[in-house]
Amino acid sequence: MNELYRAIQSNKDLKNKIKLIGIGTGNSDFEVDFFRKKYEVPFPLFSDEDYSIHKAMGEVRTPYFIGVRLKKDGSSEVFYSKLGGFTNANKFLKSMVKSSGL
Amino acid sequence: MARKKHIWIVAMVATFTWIAAAHSQSPDFKKNIYPVEQLKPTDSVLKVKVGGLAPDFTLPAVRGGKVTLSQYRGKKNVVISFVPAAWTPVCSDQWPGYNIAKEYFDQSNAILLGITVDNIPTLYAWTNQMCMGSGTLWFPVLSDFYPHGAVASKYGVLRSDGVSERSLFVIDKKGIIRYIDVHDINKRPRLEVLVKELGKLKK
Repeated sequence: MNELYRAIQSNKDLKNKIKLIGIGTGNSDFEVDFFRKKYEVPFPLFSDEDYSIHKAMGEVRTPYFIGVRLKKDGSSEVFYSKLGGFTNANKFLKSMVKSSGL
Repeated sequence: MARKKHIWIVAMVATFTWIAAAHSQSPDFKKNIYPVEQLKPTDSVLKVKVGGLAPDFTLPAVRGGKVTLSQYRGKKNVVISFVPAAWTPVCSDQWPGYNIAKEYFDQSNAILLGITVDNIPTLYAWTNQMCMGSGTLWFPVLSDFYPHGAVASKYGVLRSDGVSERSLFVIDKKGIIRYIDVHDINKRPRLEVLVKELGKLKK
């Protein structure tokens, strides 16, 4: 994930167009903060201690990635929703850019 | 891309798992976690108390050999984490969290002893799958299988269905119990509470 963030930040065409956030399902603020420091996570992480976000997302297994396209009129559209991590950040980023229509 | 006049933002929500209570839902465990319904929060009567001497015990460890509580006397503080059963949801989340939080135990010169009433082969398979992709557990995992739940019973955390409570005991270097949390079996204890208790111990 850190590699993905760096790949986005180092690409001037994508830098201001793609934002990355992480949700710690069932984690307290303390746990998320510990995780952030331990793994030097450079993007925002949020705790979801009461599982409310997890429930809203359909109680998915983890890790789970959701790509959301934010439209100019304020509405949003999910263009990617898939279980499982990735091994190649650049390849993953390319597929996200492609499927988002950026 | 540059021709687009408006900004597209892709927000990827990664429900990370390493300390998340959703680790049991991660691919590490595939579909091997047995679904458990809500249980009675606690179902036993404690036989020990804060300020009392922790009952000694010797149990076989998954990595081989045996571990005796009193072997740490005068050397290390001890945290005992009883979890109800291998291959169940919350238990499969709790220990991976402690596994990445080793520094908190080290800072307090504490060892963690993980105990369940499962037998060694079951614990072997479960802990191996628990740690796929994230190394091995740094702490001993002990089997309180036979005589069944004898140590859990000695502490008063053996439930009527034969599994242990989800419980934590913090024991100082003198063997005195300093903290007890017989937790709601359905929920994972928060890391910060244990860290706070560890911070109170003398190194």
